Amino acid sequence: MTLQECYIQLGGNYDDVIRRLRSERLVTKFVLKFLDDGSCTLLLNSMEEKNYDEAFRAAHTIKGVCQNLSFTRLYEISGKLNEALRNGPTPEVPALVEDVKEEYQKTIDAIRAFKESGGL
Amino acid sequence: MREITASVPRFLRRSLVLVLAVSAAIFLALASFMNRQSASTIRNVSQMYMSDLGEQIAFHFETAITLRLDQLNALAQTISSADIHHDLEEQKELIINARAREFTHLAFLLEDGSLDMLYGRQMQVTDPKAFIASLSGHEPKVAVGTDAAGNDLILLGVPAGHTPTEEYPCLALVAALPVSYISETLSLNENAGHIYSFIIRKDGTFVIRSAEDSRSSYFERVRALYNKAADSKDLDLYIGALSAAMESQTNYSTEIVVEGDPRQMFCTKLSHSEWFLLTFMPYTELDQMVNGFTSRWTAAVFSACILILAVLLVIFAKYLQMTKRQMLELDQARKAADQANKAKSEFLSNMSHDIRTPMNAIVGMTAIAVTNIDNKEQVQNCLRKITMSSKHLLGLINDVLDMSKIESGKMTLNMDQASLREIMDSIVNIVQPQVKAKRQQFNISIHDISTENVCCDSVRLNQVLINLLGNAVKFTPEGGTIEVALYEEDSPKGEDYVQIHIKVKDNGIGMSEEYQKKIFDSFSREDTARVQKTEGTGLGMAITKYIVDAMGGSIAVRSKAGEGTEFHVTLDLLRAVIQEADMVLPEWSMLVVDDDRQLCESAIASLKAIGVEPDWALDAESAMKMVEERHNRHDDYHIILLDWKLPGIDGIAAAREIRRRWGDDIPILLISAYDWSEIENEAREAGVTGFIAKPLFKSTLFYGLRQFVDTGGGVEDDQIGISRAGLEGLRVLLAEDNDLNWEIANELLTEELGLQLEWAENGQICLAKFDGSPEGYYDAILMDIRMPVMTGYDATKAIRGLNREDAATVPIIAMTADAFSEDIKKCLDCGMNAHVSKPIDVREVARLLAKFIRK
Repeated sequence: MTLQECYIQLGGNYDDVIRRLRSERLVTKFVLKFLDDGSCTLLLNSMEEKNYDEAFRAAHTIKGVCQNLSFTRLYEISGKLNEALRNGPTPEVPALVEDVKEEYQKTIDAIRAFKESGGL
Repeated sequence: MREITASVPRFLRRSLVLVLAVSAAIFLALASFMNRQSASTIRNVSQMYMSDLGEQIAFHFETAITLRLDQLNALAQTISSADIHHDLEEQKELIINARAREFTHLAFLLEDGSLDMLYGRQMQVTDPKAFIASLSGHEPKVAVGTDAAGNDLILLGVPAGHTPTEEYPCLALVAALPVSYISETLSLNENAGHIYSFIIRKDGTFVIRSAEDSRSSYFERVRALYNKAADSKDLDLYIGALSAAMESQTNYSTEIVVEGDPRQMFCTKLSHSEWFLLTFMPYTELDQMVNGFTSRWTAAVFSACILILAVLLVIFAKYLQMTKRQMLELDQARKAADQANKAKSEFLSNMSHDIRTPMNAIVGMTAIAVTNIDNKEQVQNCLRKITMSSKHLLGLINDVLDMSKIESGKMTLNMDQASLREIMDSIVNIVQPQVKAKRQQFNISIHDISTENVCCDSVRLNQVLINLLGNAVKFTPEGGTIEVALYEEDSPKGEDYVQIHIKVKDNGIGMSEEYQKKIFDSFSREDTARVQKTEGTGLGMAITKYIVDAMGGSIAVRSKAGEGTEFHVTLDLLRAVIQEADMVLPEWSMLVVDDDRQLCESAIASLKAIGVEPDWALDAESAMKMVEERHNRHDDYHIILLDWKLPGIDGIAAAREIRRRWGDDIPILLISAYDWSEIENEAREAGVTGFIAKPLFKSTLFYGLRQFVDTGGGVEDDQIGISRAGLEGLRVLLAEDNDLNWEIANELLTEELGLQLEWAENGQICLAKFDGSPEGYYDAILMDIRMPVMTGYDATKAIRGLNREDAATVPIIAMTADAFSEDIKKCLDCGMNAHVSKPIDVREVARLLAKFIRK
């Protein structure tokens, strides 16, 4: 599995990220680092604790990271959640959290597959 | 509504009538009450007066009679004995004394009631019984009598001073006075006053009566007078009451009507007699006087009443008028509201229709894509159409959102420095695909631009231009022409301002006169078959107008159905303070070739301003000659700018020819308003070095040409390298809570720009690091907004609030995933210098750092 295929699988924009970060090596390094990113855990924990300010910030972080890595699909969903949480939680928040969780898992799965295929 | 309009004046009119009626009734009642009160008061007053008067007359009578009786008594005392009738001397003296006291007759009353006359004619007592009885009881008495000549007399009797003898049984001394004496003394017949009196006896016979009366009894007289009119029952009651009062010798007062005149009567007993005094006072005159007063009073009351009513009437009329006007205004307001409401519901139905069309496409295309999931081409086709429809839908919804923001007054302008060049560039980029799709001619002309950088809300200005251009494209048929003109004039607002004119002109379907009047109203679209085929909310122009108004500008439209439309936007914008001194190029000689003379002249002016010495030509042939001439002089042009579209030989062919004849030394740039991707290969093959986009601003020219400064040829796209030159080694503090984001930023900014990046994991740490560093240690701060412990907003405020030299000056640039204008505004409000949105764009960061650090 190539990095490009990995991007296709996780719904990202490979061309865009390569244009901005300029080297496949760097992108690979950051993409693998994404596996260690704790933002999603923070989001889920904050939701559980009903700490919506923190959840908003976590969603915001996910959105920012995804923008930087051109993870378009996850970026869009986390962006929606971010907006839904901006002025206190709205009714669609729980559904969106589920969406983010699911998409996040898909992204992680794609990156793991990439990692295991030895794309390193 | 109309019912209310009618019913209020009706109510007011009725109230007015009611108030008039009530006031009139009150005043009438008051007047009649006062009349009655005054009449009864007069009665009471006259009754009192009458009884006083009657008593006074009676007292006067008593005094007069007592005086006479005393005189007579004194005479009687002089009689020494009963022998008087023998003593002639004494009789003589008595007579002299009596005469001296004006007694007309003098006599002795004998026991048998006969009178022995001393002087005067023989007289007779009218009612001798009572007279004799009183005198026998040694009481002086007054009575009436007559003498032989028939004269009525008043007889005064006093008991004789001696006892009667057998021989001469003399009871009393009696003297007489004429009746007129009493009348005169008591002024009974004085007609000067209105009061008159009688003296009567118990049986009603007159003792003294008014001169003109012939009857002997008062009762008879009354009867005679009364029989004419009044009923006899009243009369009997009156006479009975009077008789009873006389019998009991009490004072009696009543009111009688004689000959139609009401008058007051008072009856009192006179002393020393069996007589009663009747005093009358007619009311007529008094009544007349009082009535005169009452009618004057009534007239005054009525005029006051009328005056008050008139004032009321005026007030009512005014109020009615005001109410009517208010009603009218209300009605108008209601109509306006109705109209607005109608426009909104029409808009809603239009909108629903407009939204449904792309939605249908999306739904349909999705279904088609699902059924053809394996046919990649088909799916791609479907997805493309879905994307188009979604974009259209998004556009519609954005318009509606904008409009609602405008209507609720929440739309604000974010004034910032903006470059007209950048604005025009982005507009051209956006509009070009549409223009190309419809194969329309698109011309941009820019001239007399002295100030490129102005203060305005570039996003909103873009929106205005996109609306105008979008409409021009939409309503111009294929192959039509769209022209954009931009120029500047001196602003009437002063030297700090510049007046920008933007004209967008097309030769499309145009608009009717009526529609031009309401084109800027919300929710309006011209209702013609042609327009209905075109999608849109009808909000674009309203939004455009609002934005232009908010910027303090004006927008005008000139259009004719079937011939085209021209919009003219005028804005007075503040000149941005920006250094343009460094926009200087070497003293190159350049050739500008364009068939548009105005463009040539404008470009020449701009080029001269940045230090270049340009020539110009209007077509390729003359340009070729000029190049040849220079070449022969071994003084080649440094750079040639060629318009793509030229009459005769076009730009690409000209470039090919130049390369063929004079080699590859001279860089040739193609000027194009269009996206050059389609012609790029052809142009490159023909030997074109690069492209430069219309409109040709000073900065467009500067940045487009600057790359040739060092090399003198060859196009490098190493723009980052250029930016890097000024930024290497700068120490920048980056506040970012996420490891991954930090690493990416660190990698990019360190590698690409050569910055020395230091990491602060949150706002608090960032603040502490900055505070703990020596002044001027950090050249700039890049600040994430959403961070734990302390947000970027708070950190910025805290840093700006620090007490150190660089607290206010260190550039702070926000770096966040939010890119809403509100967020940007908040960043700037907190004291940040600028805002970049994620993902990190190295060029943008470099540009901003360069901009603020240079300051």
